[in-house]
Amino acid sequence: MTTDVLRAPRPMARPLRRISDKSGLDTAAGHVLMVLLSILCLFPVYWMLASSLRPANAMFETSLWPTSMSLDNYRQALEAIPIGRMLVNTLVFSVVSTAFQLLTGLLAAFAFARWTFALDKLVYSAVALTWLVPFQVVMIPNYLLIAQMGLLDSIVALILPNLVSALAILLLAQAMRSFPREVIEAARMDGARNWRILWEVMVPNLRGTIASLAILIFISTWNEYFWPLLLSRTAENSVIQIGIQMFMTAEGNQWGPLMAASTLASLPVLVIYVVLQRQVVQSFMKSGIR
Amino acid sequence: MADLTLSNLKKSYDGKPVLHGVDITIPDGHFVVIVGPSGCGKSTLLRMIAGLEEVTSGTISIGETVMNDIEPADRGCAMVFQNYALYPHMTVRQNIAYPLRIAKLPRAERDSKVEAVAKILNLTEYLDRRPAQLSGGQRQRVAMGRAMVREPDVFLFDEPLSNLDALLRVQMRIEIKKLHRRLKATSVFVTHDQVEAMTLADTLIVMNAGRVEQIGSPAEVYRKPASVFVAGFMGAPAMNLFPAAIGAGGALVIDAPTGGVGIGRTSLAEGTPVTVGVRPENLLLSETAGAGLPATVDFVEELGGSRVAYCTLGDREIAATLPPGDQQLEGRPVWLTLPPEALHLYDRITGQRIDVPVHAARSSIPSAFAPSM
Repeated sequence: MTTDVLRAPRPMARPLRRISDKSGLDTAAGHVLMVLLSILCLFPVYWMLASSLRPANAMFETSLWPTSMSLDNYRQALEAIPIGRMLVNTLVFSVVSTAFQLLTGLLAAFAFARWTFALDKLVYSAVALTWLVPFQVVMIPNYLLIAQMGLLDSIVALILPNLVSALAILLLAQAMRSFPREVIEAARMDGARNWRILWEVMVPNLRGTIASLAILIFISTWNEYFWPLLLSRTAENSVIQIGIQMFMTAEGNQWGPLMAASTLASLPVLVIYVVLQRQVVQSFMKSGIR
Repeated sequence: MADLTLSNLKKSYDGKPVLHGVDITIPDGHFVVIVGPSGCGKSTLLRMIAGLEEVTSGTISIGETVMNDIEPADRGCAMVFQNYALYPHMTVRQNIAYPLRIAKLPRAERDSKVEAVAKILNLTEYLDRRPAQLSGGQRQRVAMGRAMVREPDVFLFDEPLSNLDALLRVQMRIEIKKLHRRLKATSVFVTHDQVEAMTLADTLIVMNAGRVEQIGSPAEVYRKPASVFVAGFMGAPAMNLFPAAIGAGGALVIDAPTGGVGIGRTSLAEGTPVTVGVRPENLLLSETAGAGLPATVDFVEELGGSRVAYCTLGDREIAATLPPGDQQLEGRPVWLTLPPEALHLYDRITGQRIDVPVHAARSSIPSAFAPSM
């Protein structure tokens, strides 16, 4: 049997394929896929924008481009609800929540990453566990607390349970743990104490992580619906997501103003993303280098 | 005055001792190199001096002050790290100025100090670059600049050259030595590289397994290794070590495949178990039959200026340094002579050096010489 094996014809030697040809084809295929995915993601956004510009009688048109355009929906939306006020509320809610979550996250993460203290691992696990508790479980106790504090129907009440987030602490602690120890020690030798090490040495080098986290927190706060719904009593003290919902009534949905309000609600998020995007991309590129 | 004194310094992690009581006094202005294999505790020792590791017991004093519980920055030490440890988000200027900024020095003074340090280290044209835009050697110079600008009493170097390529390492080594001559600050330099250790040190400290094996000048350590460990560790190729015994009349007899061979005469008592060491450059190798221990050349390493012949003697490998030459030796039988004056004796049980002279063997002793074939 061995002879058979030995005599078996060797597989034809394949010519060496030029690497550049192969990667060129791969790149093209990759691009096509990316373009398709981008269209898939962007189309609903485009459709929202297009529908917000369609007059009421053309709302269910299926043409890609609105045949006639008007800003009537925007006018109607602005008249129906205090959109400006709601946007400001949402912005305050999101910006303050993001800032506080980053601040508390950085301080707590520094403690977890840099210090050893009694029961530190247990406390860290407890923080991680709170992340696993769904909002629905804590919403009633939170609501009761807020009600007892007399804060119902206020922006402060919206912000209060969002001052600290487990996600921010865990993510930042992880980033800080992988921060080069020698750099921190060098700072200690140079005379920097913890406060300086955190703000002057670590934070500037964690900008990418902090920026991605900021985007994540900002968007999720901006899109918060359930918690404001529980607390809000008046349109003036509501956030934009509640405003949008006001166009969905028992008599039917007012698609035009709804799309217009949605478009207005998306703009700030878009702006934030564009502003911080460079940092985020940088952080991804950096993480590859170390 | 900045004498650095370590007394009975111990360190353990979770009850496991890593330093077993170190006593060292480093006089002001000395350049001390701590050398040893990885895991011998040399970096831990340095980090304890810096204040980055807590002291389990014992004291560290600089001058008259006990430093055990003093913050790293207030000890008057500056450290240069293996991975440079520069602040990536700051320019070279900001990196060097950072300790001064923390010390709240006025801006003008800060700037002039940074400029002065940059000039010494040839960094002036790079002051506005970030560390990422510098080469390894330049980064290391910035790290040294950051240490120098504080004008510390003690410089601590934690294997600062091990990330550089060979050529740059030699250059930086010379620069560090020159810098020390100029600044005259007490320096403690940790390395596992023997050449660095030998060339830089005023005083060499050899460590092994959490203990100091020997303290001395590089020449002293090389010529009179205090223990079998130091003998085997310092020098490349390493010293050849043979188990030996003291025979009647103090005869020094080593085990060879052909039986015991007398190689000299000592004043030691009969029956003392010893280890004999001889440096490769002191071994005499001859192709003339009968002149010493019979061995076979396995392999010859060409170093340009010299050659190293690795020979087998029974089941033992022996290195001998030869002058440059072209004769083919591999596979050939040779005869090795161990000159008595070049032999080092160690207690085989404690591993400590026995300082007794070895004299040439009397003609009656080398009866065991048995030239093979």
